[in-house]
Amino acid sequence: MDQREFANRRIQHMEMCDITKQFPGVLANNQVCIDVRAGEVLALLGENGAGKSTLMKILYGLYRPDAGEIRINDQTVPLHSPNDAIAQGIGMVHQHFMLVPTLTVVENIVLGLPSSKGIFLDLDVAAKRITELSQKYGLQVDPWAYVWQLSVGEQQRVEILKVLYRGADLLILDEPTAVLTPQEVDELIPTLEEMTRMGHSIIFITHKLREVMAISNKVTVLRNGQVIDTLATADTNQEALARMMVGRELLKEYDKAQVTLGETVLEVKSLCAKDDKGLPALKKVTFEVRAGEILGVAGVSGNGQRELADVIAGLQQATSGQVIIAGKDVTNKLPAYVIDAGMGYIPEDRLHTGTIPSFSISENVILKDNARPPIARGPFLDFEEIARYSKRLVQEFAVKTPTLETQVGNLSGGNIQKLILAREISREPAFLLAAQPTRGLDVGAMEYVHQRLLEQRAAGKGILLVSEELDEIFKLADRIAVIYEGQIMDILSIDQADREHLGLLMAGVTQAAD
Amino acid sequence: MKRVSLFVVLVVVLSTLLTACGGGTTSSDKIRIALILPSTIDDMAWSQSMYEGILAIQEELGMDKVDFEYSESLGNPVDAGAAIREYADKGFNIIIAHGSQYQSVLDEVAPDYPEVSFAYGTGYQSHDNIFAYDPQAQEGAYLHGMMAGLMTQSNIVGIVGPVEAGDAIKYNYGFQQGVEAVNPDVDVRIAYTGSFGDIPKAAELAKAHMDAGADFLTGTAQQVVGAITAVKERDGVYWLSNDMDQSPLAPDAVLSAQTYDWVKVLKQIIEYRENGTMGGEHLSLSLANGEIKMVYNPNVEGNVPQDVKDAVEEAKQQIIKGELEVALPD
Amino acid sequence: MIDQLLQTHIIIGVLATGVRLSTPFLLAALGEMFTQRSGVFNLGVEGIMLMGAFSGFWVTLVTGTPMLGILAAIIVGALMGLLMAFVSVTMQAKQGISGIGLYMLGWGLAGFLFRITVGYVTSVEGFRPIAIPILSDIPILGTVLFNHNWMVYFSLLLVPISWVVLFKTTWGLKVRAVGVTPEAADTLGVSVRGIRYACVVIGSIMAGLAGAFLTLGHTNMYGDNLTAGRGFIAVALVYFGRWNPWGILAGSLFFSIVDALQLWVQVLGLDIPYEFAVMAPYVLTVVALAAVSGRIWEPAALGKPFDREA
Repeated sequence: MDQREFANRRIQHMEMCDITKQFPGVLANNQVCIDVRAGEVLALLGENGAGKSTLMKILYGLYRPDAGEIRINDQTVPLHSPNDAIAQGIGMVHQHFMLVPTLTVVENIVLGLPSSKGIFLDLDVAAKRITELSQKYGLQVDPWAYVWQLSVGEQQRVEILKVLYRGADLLILDEPTAVLTPQEVDELIPTLEEMTRMGHSIIFITHKLREVMAISNKVTVLRNGQVIDTLATADTNQEALARMMVGRELLKEYDKAQVTLGETVLEVKSLCAKDDKGLPALKKVTFEVRAGEILGVAGVSGNGQRELADVIAGLQQATSGQVIIAGKDVTNKLPAYVIDAGMGYIPEDRLHTGTIPSFSISENVILKDNARPPIARGPFLDFEEIARYSKRLVQEFAVKTPTLETQVGNLSGGNIQKLILAREISREPAFLLAAQPTRGLDVGAMEYVHQRLLEQRAAGKGILLVSEELDEIFKLADRIAVIYEGQIMDILSIDQADREHLGLLMAGVTQAAD
Repeated sequence: MKRVSLFVVLVVVLSTLLTACGGGTTSSDKIRIALILPSTIDDMAWSQSMYEGILAIQEELGMDKVDFEYSESLGNPVDAGAAIREYADKGFNIIIAHGSQYQSVLDEVAPDYPEVSFAYGTGYQSHDNIFAYDPQAQEGAYLHGMMAGLMTQSNIVGIVGPVEAGDAIKYNYGFQQGVEAVNPDVDVRIAYTGSFGDIPKAAELAKAHMDAGADFLTGTAQQVVGAITAVKERDGVYWLSNDMDQSPLAPDAVLSAQTYDWVKVLKQIIEYRENGTMGGEHLSLSLANGEIKMVYNPNVEGNVPQDVKDAVEEAKQQIIKGELEVALPD
Repeated sequence: MIDQLLQTHIIIGVLATGVRLSTPFLLAALGEMFTQRSGVFNLGVEGIMLMGAFSGFWVTLVTGTPMLGILAAIIVGALMGLLMAFVSVTMQAKQGISGIGLYMLGWGLAGFLFRITVGYVTSVEGFRPIAIPILSDIPILGTVLFNHNWMVYFSLLLVPISWVVLFKTTWGLKVRAVGVTPEAADTLGVSVRGIRYACVVIGSIMAGLAGAFLTLGHTNMYGDNLTAGRGFIAVALVYFGRWNPWGILAGSLFFSIVDALQLWVQVLGLDIPYEFAVMAPYVLTVVALAAVSGRIWEPAALGKPFDREA
């Protein structure tokens, strides 16, 4: 611990007391209390919608609480805007980076700050200070680089530097590891340790238990807007935290049925495609999925996963290569053709690609079958049959909805995903493509989706699971294909794969050392 | 989004209020005239001349006898078509669409309103209830060409044209013949702005003509007011105006004007109607029938040498008598 | 035919005409550049120009002092800018539609006000060219660049000034950030609304000045729809210039010099059909635009209202 630095910190103790925040229809925070001291890392643990982000936005002055107060060193402080929070020494690293890609690192960092040269920018002076800070905290980054040129890990360093540059003593890190490779997470940990050594306090928002254990001194668990408990990290374990977070026991591991592999249901051969900007997004991607297995595609976001899913689903053109589903060549065919070939699709953007938000549940359920019996009788829709069919699916898949006529856009993410699963699975496809199927879902819904996918595997379907959550892939997949910059780095069977190896592959490092 | 559409609606309503003026009462024994204009009633050119003609008719026949409404800035025939139908539905008897571009839209609308007389010009194709009026602009243009040809010092004269079509072609062709007849050495330079209403462009074109040596300029369409103002700022350059006497804009630079007597044309239309002819007539405006007039600007008339005046006057008489025919382009 | 064009006095004529024609584009486009850089798409430039043209003209006609006309155009431009900012920033309306609304408002209102205040075609004594001592004696360049009225110089001077403001000041940095990632600027305590209001108003003032240039520095008169689409071309030139003052200068000069050239080609009676001549600046600009295309330079938040809670 650096005593001199420690004493310099303006925030020795920060408390949020009895914070209540009501949004229309949701009590986001209900009398929440947390506190953190200089040199401490407080993990704020909770599922999506538990109220973590709301609480932090209140602390950062973006929202105003309906009740409660914030105290710094036992003084009540009003925080009405980010400016107030910054002035008090509070800084926030947002989950979605708040960086301007077209500006340089130094420009991003000094944005909004007064300059030593009056109205003119003093970028040289600032760059020097940034370099000093980089060295002090071990956050290497070129101040003159443009943000769009930086890797995700580097961007996060810029975010942290931005906060430190403003003299923040208390740092709020909102799910900082969500976008990082395992290696980048490992690099972040010493930086955080360095900061606490200098007397900074850190609030670390996450829903990943492993990180809570690795990083924090203290953990506060939130559920449904309320504090369940606050305890020293050393006094607890992952299982106990998970129970508190979800409110019930979770399955530690899934039972995977023994399945004999069947025929090849998806074959991708030397597939190439371009991204929106016309740059190569997929480079000679080759793999196959057989009936009865789940092939996981692991990779850091933006490495070609979206293009891969879109090309297979017929939503985007391949520039070369082949896609064969259940023996039929569907390369660059219309989506309808691909669907008929036997593909079920759980798309990444469930609200817009997966459903029509302004349509009712019944209408969404029949989207793919509206032109054939028994849904259609000649050119007409059979509404009785539609009602019967959608009612059955809603019951079977436990979709929580007031009526069948409810607009899908009004359902929660988990229920929309269940509805999509219902529609896709009930069509009995030979091959199922699931892209980020649990993104943004709470743990309960996530478990449900996982169970359904495993059921399909047991039923002899072939599944391609594209996911950025390594945990998910480990739980479900039989084999793992790692994608990096549009290339398949390697395909490993689940028993050969370990996190570290996968992390390196995801960062584009092949096993040159072996 | 509600507020936004309200804003847009407000703006639309406001702008239509601003463009559609006038008002009147319905009465069957009245002559009810509606006028559709490509530009505005104060454009100091084509539109204003017709507008003033109708005001004069109203004055002459009595305000209680003639109802008059107009719509301006309807350069786009589709918008004009909507306005024309509206006037027809409101019971106007004579609807004048003052431009050659309205011919096809009238062909379409007129059969639906057999009791209404429509009129447009410049034009010559008429139907049962459409009058086509047709100023023989080439005649005055010829006389202007003579003036320019006889008086130019630089032997360069310039034309500031709108687009190469109808009226402009006619005027320019007549002007060229007039110059050619008296001074074959003169270079007549025709240039177009590509627009009828781009005043700054017309000014810039006039400046280019003058920088290139022209000392006589002429042109048609409402945009020429820009050119006239540019001419005013140079010494020793004259403008020959068309449609209206534009000398108030440049009292020392506008030498002469060819003007149209729309009152006579309107009276003809009213008379035809009274005799049961709803349309189908081709109404030509010419020097011979006195519906085209040539006027010198009294301020600078003294600068025109007597022999020039005489030559122009002689040619004018020859045109009136039919001894001299100013050719039209094929 | 080409040698006719290559005579010195004609080249000078073309270039001087081009510089003069570029002024309204330059003023309006530099202003719109600030507006768009902050993330607001103001399609109403044409309407603001018309109001600026009218108010400048009328105040000059009444007072006899063109500088008061300029002041009027600035005030009217600012007011119309506030209206646009209120509708698009505060009310978060669709900016394309509110811009068209502003254009129609400006067009209708300018015509209406002209009708009730003046009502006939007349001219005023506008700004006279000021030959800059020494510089105006330089052969060719002197006439091309240094023998214009002050507004032409002013518009050219605004190019480096805009560049410095945008890229070298703390305020310019905020503008650039707000137009790309407003949420990032917001989290750093930058007032997204404040910056956008300021930029829309600045852009509108400059559009008002561009209109006043037409009535006080160019034609010395007002007429219905005097601007004849120049405001829309200015918006296109912002894209052409890739939201950069120098690019906008290049685009404005390119368009205007080609326009001047085609006028001279016609005036000299060169054997080119006039339709092609008249089209030339538009066609060449479109070709140039296509050649340098790619939307990567566009401010990413252009046209998107910002709402913290959304």
